[in-house]
Formats: sequence, C-alpha cells, structure tokens
Amino acid sequence: MTQSSNEMWTVTIVVPEGSSLDEAGETYDLEVGTDETILATARSAGVWLPADCQQGWCTTCAARLVDGDVVHPNARRYYDEDDEAGYILPCTAKPRTDTTIVVDQHDDFLEFRAANDRPPGNSKLNG
Amino acid sequence: MSEEKSHATGTVEPGDTSKRVGMEVIRERGLDPEELREKLIDAIGAEFTTYYYYTNLRMHLAGEEDYKEITEDARLEDRAHFELVVPRIYELEGSLPNDIRDFADRASCPDAEVPTPMDDSGGFDTSELEVEDILEVLLEAERCAIRTWSEICDMTRGADPRTYDMAQRILNEEMDHEAWFIELLSKERDDEINPAGHFARGEPGDAPYSTNNRFNDSA
Repeated sequence: MTQSSNEMWTVTIVVPEGSSLDEAGETYDLEVGTDETILATARSAGVWLPADCQQGWCTTCAARLVDGDVVHPNARRYYDEDDEAGYILPCTAKPRTDTTIVVDQHDDFLEFRAANDRPPGNSKLNG
Repeated sequence: MSEEKSHATGTVEPGDTSKRVGMEVIRERGLDPEELREKLIDAIGAEFTTYYYYTNLRMHLAGEEDYKEITEDARLEDRAHFELVVPRIYELEGSLPNDIRDFADRASCPDAEVPTPMDDSGGFDTSELEVEDILEVLLEAERCAIRTWSEICDMTRGADPRTYDMAQRILNEEMDHEAWFIELLSKERDDEINPAGHFARGEPGDAPYSTNNRFNDSA
C-alpha cells in the first residue's frame, strides 16, 4: 500500500466471472481521490457499476473489500458488522489506501444483512 | 382466421389465467418482470415514506409559508407517484408488503427525517433547527428519487413501455422538485439566485405529469 501524490489511490475493481454485468470477468485499476467515491469515479471512467440511491442506503452497489481501506462518511445505512465482514458500499466509499474490491455482491449482502437482522435484508428477501 | 393474425396467439394458452401476457412480453424482450416488480416496490416505498416524512418536514418550516407550500406540492406529488405505480405492481403479480415496517425498510431512498439531534428524553429537539437543514434533506430526497426513476427508465426502455411511461412521468416531476429545492436552498443558505424556472403548480398535488391519466379522483 503506497500513497500516490495528491491523495490519489489505486482502486482495483474486480467484476466476478459469474456476474450478470457486461463487465463480467474484467478487472479495472482506477485512480480515486481521497474525497471521491469509488462508484462515481468508476462510472466516470466508463465502468457502469450497479447503484441506485447513491446515499449508502439501498445497498444495490454492495461490494467486498479484498484489500485496503475505505471510509463511508456519508453512508446512511452502514453498520459496524458490515465493516467487520468486509462489505463496502462503493457509492459512498472513499479510499484511504490502495484498495481492491469485488463488485456486484448485492444478493450476498442482503443475505448477510438478513442474518444480522439489519435492513433491507429480511424485508427484501421475504418480500 | 386467427392463425393469420400474428398477435392473436402466443406462449400463453387461450383462457389461461395462471399467466399474464403482460409479463411474458416483457420477458420476451429481455427484462425480468419479477426483478422489475421488486424494484418498483422499493421505488414506491421511497415515494410513500417521503410522503410521510415531508409531512413532518413541512411542519417544521413554520413561518416559512412559501417553503411550506412548495414542500406540500412535492409531498402530494410523491403520493401521486405511489398511487400511480401501485396497480402496476399487482399487474406484475406482486403485492405491497403487509407490514409497513418491511415496506419502509426496503424503500430505495433514505428516510427524510427532520435533521435534528435527539434530546435527552428521546424526543427530537427542534429548538435549533435551521431552515436550510430542512431544505437540504428535501433536496437530497429528490435527488435519490431522480436516480431511482432514471434506473427504472433504463431498465424498461425498449422492454416495457407501460412502466417506462410511468417512470419517465414521475422522473419529470422529481426533476422539477430538485430544481425547486436547489433554488430555495441556494437562496437560503448561500444567498445565491438559482431559479428553478418555476412559479407555482395550479393546485397542491397537481402532479401534472404523473396524474395526467388519473385512475380515479382519489389518486
């Protein structure tokens, strides 16, 4: 983990092989500033990751943190157990180191939230 | 002869009420109607909760009567959005959650709560509440709605004209709402003039786009 100049970090975005996204199987390295969200930077770079509210609430954008560190200062619904389990919400996540994430984890994240009795897990899975 | 009418028959057997052609044609065009239906429930969950929370927000705009009126327009139009889309969910073989807590939990946008800390007794202390803080909540709620309905437009374009029509009409009004609150917040907080290009709706809750084909007078 090395910090580049101007508080920029390399965020590696891994799109799983089995993803339904057009980018399935692809990996992207993006330069993301300390005050930029991973989602916004990715979309600006043409990597159209799934997202909806973009306020850290709906969890559509959920991803897994493989390596590195991010913060969620503006997330509306992000819990300590999410952090401990290595889930992030790229719509509000801002890097603090070089970081690697696996995107398109919404379904797994809903199961995780449900197992921890946190919304919108049960309300969506049992809807 | 019906055999010569290309749309007279399809994959659903004549008289079969266990399937809906209205869903099968969406599937044939590459969109999963069940996925769409669930997304619509999330979206109108947000419209409904916004309707509720805007009630509270506008109460706390006491003395700012112009802001209250505009918030009331947005509030009633959000309810109109909920009313517009509810039948579509049932057409897609869905239903509203029986438990309103489940409905609110799955809403695709954050609760638009009055932006004030709780006091020592667990109530919310509005003594220091600033108008600009309320306007910021209103603005961000509208922005979330814009993102949501834009996604639904993306999903349904070319696959489900009926839902697309609803979504784009709602999106029209959400963009109006964002412009209103940008104008008000800019003036209130920054003393900047950023006109919305808007004066007034005809009546509160007019919803000129989303209720231009009313189902009934209650909607």
